[in-house]
Amino acid sequence: MSALLKVENVTMRFGGLVALNDVSLSIDKGAVLAVIGPNGAGKSTLFNVVTGVYRPTSGRVAFDGAEITGRPTYDIVDRGIARTFQSSRLFSDLSVLDNVIIGMHTRTKTGVLSALFRPRSSRREMATCVERAERLLRLGSGDLFEQRYRPAGTLAQADRRRLEIARALASQPKLLLLDEPSVGMDDVETDALVADIERLRADNPELSVVLIEHDMRVVEAFPQHVTCVDYGSKIAEGDFAAVRADPRVQEAYLGKAVAHA
Amino acid sequence: MQARASLAAPGKAAAAAFTITSQLCGATFLYLILRVDGGWQVVGLLALLGLGFYLLERLPWIADYAMASFARVPLVTMITAAVVVLAFPFFVGSNTYMLHLLIVAELYAVLALALNFQLGSANIPNFATGASYGIGAYVSALLAINFGVSFWLTLPVAALAATLFGFIIGIPSMRTRDTYLALVTIAFGVVVQQLLNNFSWTGGPNGLVGIPAPSLLGHSFADPLVIFGWKLPSQANFYYLSAALVVVAIVTAHRLHASRIGLAWNALRADEIAARAQGINVAWFKVLAFAVDAFLAAFAGTIYAFYVSYISPDNFTFLVSVTIMTMVIVGGMDNVFGVIVGAFLLTILPEKLRAFADYRLLFFGVVIIAFLMIRPQGLFPQRMRRYGGDL
Repeated sequence: MSALLKVENVTMRFGGLVALNDVSLSIDKGAVLAVIGPNGAGKSTLFNVVTGVYRPTSGRVAFDGAEITGRPTYDIVDRGIARTFQSSRLFSDLSVLDNVIIGMHTRTKTGVLSALFRPRSSRREMATCVERAERLLRLGSGDLFEQRYRPAGTLAQADRRRLEIARALASQPKLLLLDEPSVGMDDVETDALVADIERLRADNPELSVVLIEHDMRVVEAFPQHVTCVDYGSKIAEGDFAAVRADPRVQEAYLGKAVAHA
Repeated sequence: MQARASLAAPGKAAAAAFTITSQLCGATFLYLILRVDGGWQVVGLLALLGLGFYLLERLPWIADYAMASFARVPLVTMITAAVVVLAFPFFVGSNTYMLHLLIVAELYAVLALALNFQLGSANIPNFATGASYGIGAYVSALLAINFGVSFWLTLPVAALAATLFGFIIGIPSMRTRDTYLALVTIAFGVVVQQLLNNFSWTGGPNGLVGIPAPSLLGHSFADPLVIFGWKLPSQANFYYLSAALVVVAIVTAHRLHASRIGLAWNALRADEIAARAQGINVAWFKVLAFAVDAFLAAFAGTIYAFYVSYISPDNFTFLVSVTIMTMVIVGGMDNVFGVIVGAFLLTILPEKLRAFADYRLLFFGVVIIAFLMIRPQGLFPQRMRRYGGDL
């Protein structure tokens, strides 16, 4: 089976700082890859490289059979990669519904001229978007649908995380990048999140997910592929049990003394 | 949804009555403030206005009720508005000064709506709207004077020329943001004004004189307008023409706002990085906002040139851009109705408060600072989009 996303020997330098050092990873269609590692290890930088926010200093990124290194973000989203942000970046003065509809930007195509001179088709496109957005909002845990006309900025923390995911799904991605989706969630909400991701995969067997997580309960739920990053380098990869047992991973998380104790 | 609907769901009759009454009240207020002659009367009317906005602020359900009413009987709303706009000159009669103020207010309303695409929807502080306005005016005036091109043909040509200008300033502006972006647009505005001042073919500081009045179906706009035996001064021609342009601007604003383009602009305003992650081509949408702004501003410029028949670089200074920006901020960012109210208020008030004549820039500065401190969302804040309804 060919990989959906392939990151090959990517190095990302900011001046003297090496945020990513020769990192390679790949993910198959329909798989979940969990990326773990301490704060500042370079996990979010990895997402930024994949989505075209940063152009890697060296190395390449391929997605769905085509090289996407250094392509503009809008092109990469159009090809089917969607992401969420670690600190939720919602459009806080817009309604929950509008947030999701904006997520469909690459799947809609009304331009200025057709918006002005063919208002009927523009309105029809919007109506379809609203319908799809409402369906997405009903999908996950929580009651986002009931809150769809609230400004996104007034949502509770867990709902903000859920809305980020709904917005990312709105672009009908083939690959979903989740940056610490469980931040700010309590245990019950985290379990619901895991259930949401599992349901999502059951509904879309083709969908691949890359998960940056600190909460080991979430990682444990998707144990097949785990990669650990520290100081910008990949230090371990394998299934959860193997990665957890790896001394370098324990050292990265717990410090030298404990690991050797 | 249900709870909301029952909270503010006026019946059809109540909605129609409210719609008609509120619009007539608005028109009466406009008439009075145009009519009064300085001093205490203006202060009294301003106090009344202040009270109105205070009530709106204190009792937010009034605004909800108004919106629900307008949405409930859209046809009544539009017909009333049309009747008010069409009938207004008949009440003004032969008072050409009042008509002049109305025309200027209408043109400023178009300019403010144009800038609203940038400042209101996408949060791009563009101080070059005055320049686009000037380019529209000069292009059409030059075409009319030198080549005898008809007004109706100069309209689209001037708009396209200004749109090109919008692209030209939009593209380098994309490399900057916030304050620096504002500086770039200020520079462009000043450069355009200086060019108009120094080229010989633009008439230099003397400007362009003798722009011929447009005509439609044999009726010259320089002649009085006779409707059903009523004779209206020649300004009424331009009043109706500008009103038509305001309608075009409103329709444009509504259609763009309700489409994915308006949403993309709003996304840029809220969070540019998140907008990019949704697949929005940020640079393109910013440039697009510049182009739409310039396009509409040029229409206003063309009408202005043909209306006053004499233009000079002094008509398109930095002050004009500041004025337009003040109107958007005061009226309410991204609220079409609010922006129009802002344009009318800020056109008429300085005229009425002659004491401020020499301090106009100061007046606008104080107004902006006051609004940003006390009511940053403007008189009429933006409203959430609602779907599945009749709006």
